Amino acid sequence: MALAEARNNIMQSKEGDKVISSVAMVVALISFGMLFLTLMMSFALYRFTAPVWPPAGMEKPSLLIPSISTFLIILSSLAYFSFEKKTAKGLIDKQGLMMTIILGTSFMVSQAIFWNQLKSHGIFVSSGIFASVMYAFTWIHAAHIVVALALLVWLYKKLSSPDKMTSVMVSSAGKFWHFLGIVWLIMFVTIFVL
Amino acid sequence: MAFFEQDIHDAPSTFLSKYVFSFDHKVIAKQFLWYGIAFLGIGGMMALMIRWTLAFPGEPFPIIGDILFPNSGGIVPPDTYAMLFTLHGTIMIFFAITPILIGAFGNFCIPLMIGARDMVFPTLNMLSFWLAVLSAVLLLASLFTPLGGAAGGWTSYPTLSTLIGSAGVGQTLWCLSLFVLGVSSTMGAVNYIATIITLRAPGMGYFDMPLTVWGLWLTAVLNAIFLPVLGAGLLLLTFDRVFGTTFFLAGAAATSGSGDPVLFQHVFWIFGHPEVYILILPAWGIVSDLLSFFSRKPAFGAKATALAMTSITILSTVVYGHHMYSTQMSPLLTQSFMMLTMVISIPSAVFFANWLGTLWKGSIRFQTPMLFSLGVVFVFGLGGLTGLYLATVSTDLYLHDTYFVVGHFHYTMAASVLLGGFAGTYFWFPKMYGRMMNERLGKIHFWISMVGLNGIFMGMMIIGHAGMHRRIYNPFVYEFLQNLIPLNRFITYSALVMGAGQLFFVWNFIYSMYKGPIATQNPWEVGTLDWTIPSPAPHYNFKEIPVVRCGPHELGNPNLVGKDFQYQTEELVKA
Repeated sequence: MALAEARNNIMQSKEGDKVISSVAMVVALISFGMLFLTLMMSFALYRFTAPVWPPAGMEKPSLLIPSISTFLIILSSLAYFSFEKKTAKGLIDKQGLMMTIILGTSFMVSQAIFWNQLKSHGIFVSSGIFASVMYAFTWIHAAHIVVALALLVWLYKKLSSPDKMTSVMVSSAGKFWHFLGIVWLIMFVTIFVL
Repeated sequence: MAFFEQDIHDAPSTFLSKYVFSFDHKVIAKQFLWYGIAFLGIGGMMALMIRWTLAFPGEPFPIIGDILFPNSGGIVPPDTYAMLFTLHGTIMIFFAITPILIGAFGNFCIPLMIGARDMVFPTLNMLSFWLAVLSAVLLLASLFTPLGGAAGGWTSYPTLSTLIGSAGVGQTLWCLSLFVLGVSSTMGAVNYIATIITLRAPGMGYFDMPLTVWGLWLTAVLNAIFLPVLGAGLLLLTFDRVFGTTFFLAGAAATSGSGDPVLFQHVFWIFGHPEVYILILPAWGIVSDLLSFFSRKPAFGAKATALAMTSITILSTVVYGHHMYSTQMSPLLTQSFMMLTMVISIPSAVFFANWLGTLWKGSIRFQTPMLFSLGVVFVFGLGGLTGLYLATVSTDLYLHDTYFVVGHFHYTMAASVLLGGFAGTYFWFPKMYGRMMNERLGKIHFWISMVGLNGIFMGMMIIGHAGMHRRIYNPFVYEFLQNLIPLNRFITYSALVMGAGQLFFVWNFIYSMYKGPIATQNPWEVGTLDWTIPSPAPHYNFKEIPVVRCGPHELGNPNLVGKDFQYQTEELVKA
């Protein structure tokens, strides 16, 4: 009975609310996108004007931990995808969202391990431009991940009493989460792999 | 078209919910207006101190000099001078013009003019204001740090702004303050864009929106796209200062692994050039509407004006390099940027001609808002034309960093926007407070401001052309500039006159709020949706969401009987 009611509530979301939040979220993501685009532009400039990269005799860090981070964030996005699909059908998939949160948190842990590893190899924030890029860009991305995780936790609480805004919120939060995944992928390929 | 109708909420009853943490777009607009006017005063005072130093080097600043600069006997010290011009620019751009034109008029006009009950996200709107307050606190706090506030110019180029150029917390607080303000403005921009797309009254297509809303909308688009660019630059600069990264440190990347100071200039101007249009677009929109309203004629080529403003918005994103001709840019690039910049003249000329076309053969009512709008036409014309000399590489290399530049951007960004802001304030004051401002005082205010600011900025262009550089504490140590002392004094006298003239405005504003004559619903006799509701606007704006049946500038239609305008809610009267 409770399930059917919840399903009803979710399915009732207004067309207008959906349009408004997707317009707003798309504009917001363009803003966030410009922030990361500016960072990537700076990186491209450093990269292409340096005769050798990484500069000043530095070595690239091992790909192991960044690859694990990439794996985790892709998994978390996939988990969220299935959660979104079920919500659209009117089902409350609390485990799916919990999975995303756990995978997202593990991504943060892998980032912390990565920063520690850099430090133990004697690469500090102030060790030249490559270290600056690695630290600062991952910091800025991680700060966004923390905000997004807080959003997901808040959404998790909201799922206990679904209303007609729930599916709108799920799709908005999803847009942000997938966006951060894409940003990480771009950073992983350009900064760590290439 | 409206995707949904907002509910009518109960009127807020407590002081806090009504005046402080209000969700009502009209109250937030007034908060932004007061915030902006307060900073206009602070920034204006700083301008007077700069002018005093340039006109009377080595003489103590009158009256308050002894209190502010006790260690130097009332004379503005050189390091303080650098802080003054830095903070004058920062405050006027980000803390005075932005809140007044975008925060106040954006919040006030958008829902009223498109027939909505509020912004689409009222909570976001309130957060946006209070983040702006936080940012102001950060900026003002920087003045009380041991080494004082930021002193690297409003552009804060490295290495002036890295730890090498300015030690101390002041510059860091400046970066954080602007970052927070950027977040606040981006929130506002998301809100404005979503509101205009989704909450227009039934029947209102994009070209049925008043041009004011067009200007504010385009501004919001630019804000949403380009403020984050500055945000990224400020974050990296903060990291350089606080954590020791090397993004903007000079040096050869291959050997020392350091960054590139010129990169900050790119990032800054990729944001900075759209920013000047962010500031001017709302004023253009307001003026385009007001010229039509007070000429009692439809806006000439309103659609073309809207499209011209749109194309300027698009072009503004690809011309930023003209700020950097003197950075050893490749001639291929400088010429490309020069050409792109020149292209902006075409849409500018289109809407400027439309302004004149609107005035042509109108039965013009010279009320205060109209005087200020005409002032904008005059000063923007001058400012725009002098921009051509700075867009051309060969002349810019001579004029770069002189007072000619200062005069030019004050004509466009300061004079036009300020006059546009005053026009808007006089025009919407009745809808904000339900009372009229005094016409006579308004006209005195206009003429003093107009004479004063032309004296100031025309003078600046002349001394700039004569070779006087900006940002120099005492330019007269150079022999060839000593002849310019009288002209500098003239500019300073003009500035003092203009500053004094603003007292008429302050008095008029505060007095009229309480004692001004009660305003009717539609004192200016215009037809946009904001004038279809009582003055002051009730907290829910529209009891019934209006249905729009004609454009915003239906004035002087010969088929009308008994009046010369019609409301947007009325069917267009045909012969």
